[in-house]
Amino acid sequence: MDLLISNLAHGFGVAMSFDNLLFALLGALIGTAIGVLPGIGPVATISLLLPITFGQPATTAIIMLAGIYYGAQYGGSTTAILLNLPGEVSSVVTTLEGYKMARNGRAGAALTISAVGSFIAGSVATLLVAASGPLLTEVALSFGPADYFSLMLLGLIISAVLAQGSVLKSVAMVVLGVALGLVGTDVQTGQQRFTFGVPELSDGLDFAAMAMGVFGISEIILNLERPEVRSVLTAKVGSLFLTREEVKRSIPSVVRGTIIGSVLGILPGGGASLASFGSYMMERKMSKGRAQFGNGAIEGVAGPEAANNAAAQTSFIPLLTLGIPSNAVMALMVGALIIQGIQPGPRMVESQPDLFWGLICSMWIGNVMLLVINLPMIGMWVKLLQVPYKYMYPAILTFCAIGVYSINNNVFDVYATVFFGILGYVFNKLKMEPAPLLVGFVLGPMMEEHLRRAMLLSRGSVSVFIERPISAVLLVICALALGLMLLPGLRKKKEEAMAG
Amino acid sequence: MKINAKDLASGIFLLVLAGLGLWLNMDHTLGNARRMGPGYMPMLVFWLELGLGAIVFVTSFFGGTDPLEKWTKIDFVTLALAIAAGLLGYQLLSTVPALSTNWYALGLSIVIAMFILAISPGWRVLATVLAGMSLFGVLLDAGGLFLSIAIMVVVAAFADKEHRPLGVAACVVFLIALCWWVFIHELDIRVNIWPTFF
Repeated sequence: MDLLISNLAHGFGVAMSFDNLLFALLGALIGTAIGVLPGIGPVATISLLLPITFGQPATTAIIMLAGIYYGAQYGGSTTAILLNLPGEVSSVVTTLEGYKMARNGRAGAALTISAVGSFIAGSVATLLVAASGPLLTEVALSFGPADYFSLMLLGLIISAVLAQGSVLKSVAMVVLGVALGLVGTDVQTGQQRFTFGVPELSDGLDFAAMAMGVFGISEIILNLERPEVRSVLTAKVGSLFLTREEVKRSIPSVVRGTIIGSVLGILPGGGASLASFGSYMMERKMSKGRAQFGNGAIEGVAGPEAANNAAAQTSFIPLLTLGIPSNAVMALMVGALIIQGIQPGPRMVESQPDLFWGLICSMWIGNVMLLVINLPMIGMWVKLLQVPYKYMYPAILTFCAIGVYSINNNVFDVYATVFFGILGYVFNKLKMEPAPLLVGFVLGPMMEEHLRRAMLLSRGSVSVFIERPISAVLLVICALALGLMLLPGLRKKKEEAMAG
Repeated sequence: MKINAKDLASGIFLLVLAGLGLWLNMDHTLGNARRMGPGYMPMLVFWLELGLGAIVFVTSFFGGTDPLEKWTKIDFVTLALAIAAGLLGYQLLSTVPALSTNWYALGLSIVIAMFILAISPGWRVLATVLAGMSLFGVLLDAGGLFLSIAIMVVVAAFADKEHRPLGVAACVVFLIALCWWVFIHELDIRVNIWPTFF
């Protein structure tokens, strides 16, 4: 306990430095902005800003990128409540009760409970990250190559199973991601693989180019093809204060949302959107006000909003302790760390204490900032919604183009982004979910390394994966996760949950 | 029989890709399970992908209807022409010595292909956005940052019918100022700002 406190004190020291505070604020502001705006999500934004973070120290860069992710959870609810449009995927369910509340004249109350609920959940989840981080790290240090391989396999499978749409196609996308990760120089023999003699490819496909193309560029094209949804503000914000009854009804929902969100965030493949769906289902079944669901029940806002923010924080746990990204945003974080020369993994807590504890403390500071950014300044964000998309997409495109060029000062990366933009467009038209692809791309090269090491140690015997207890347990969970999804009943449940 | 066309196309896409991967992987030594060569992991991955592609392909015949979007004749024609022009253009342009550096041949052939694609209304959004971005790449070195941004934004503006010349001009000025501040003033990236070809 003393150690935890001294570590947190160290973390606050790091997080309170002028630069880190400034970039946490910047991340929170950008996150809120893209959260409010429908049509641009955290994955696209973080990939867009990835090149800009290269020049900064690693801690500052990650603090800002993290701020964008959880900031988007705050911002997304504003659009959902006021306009019945989800600003983010994770706020889809907030539209259900939140917009009804707005039409009942309680928009202000819905905004307040979503911000305060998010803040409470975020604070609890941050503590959880701080407490569980070092514990999990110790477990992780006893992992051998075979265990790592199985763990990453589990991460890949769960990220596919929990992705939207067909499980089969998501698994195929994960494998495709691993395949794309093969491009480049083989680490052990130095042989060029799938590079077609292009020197630019010998370091592998550029991560930022791929993420920007598949998420940023193809999103622009898809948004432009859809007729623009004119945002019409139908309801007045009204009083931001909650009545005593509303407070009483929300507290249990926030508590439940925090718990379910924290758990679902830690799961590989989990994350904010899954958590908010899970919490909504739970509130509809368990809360006292369930009879009012569909007519603006405050529980249906408080629970999911707490859950998605809790999950946004706890999804950092697998990344910071095991080096395994649990969703596409975390895959981008791995990319950012690797570019900074830091190999994410269990040794990060010891070797990068500034990064680990600084990030945790800045998350809490960021949550305080977001509370201020979102509640009193709500009018400013509503104004932002009036900016038409036709003025936004040229800016996104320009930032993509310059950003991707500046990574290596090479126009090849610009053309690679164009190529991945086409690919992302095709994926969307064929209903192939691109998020698992990114996770596969990041984990693929690490998996190959661990597989080769494990097989070398076992003298070529595959049984090592079953003989080591940790690996065996992980593989059983893999099989269970895949097996469960083959059951028609569960598959239907998942589809229902995803459809909201 | 209800064919899920989206899954059918996905299946074919995966099968072709896996086949291509396995074929390209023939150059790499496989090694054995104990000492894996550079070709071992790709072999596993692409066989797995081939299997998954086959399952997606087969199950698409029983997946219920999910048709692809309707393609008009001009969509097909422009796509075929664009691919042909792009490939042919690359072959021809890469023989020109002046274009052999800085990926000019690649960039120009993408631009040509995208302009052909833009003839069809169905592809216009995709083609103009990507043509703008490719032109940015082609122009950046000789034309400088400001000119490339201007051209990119103007070309990409054709993707949205609601754009008016004045609005686009304002967009260009604003973005040039913003990018100068962010990328040149703050981040100091190494890039030409003004044209160098005079």
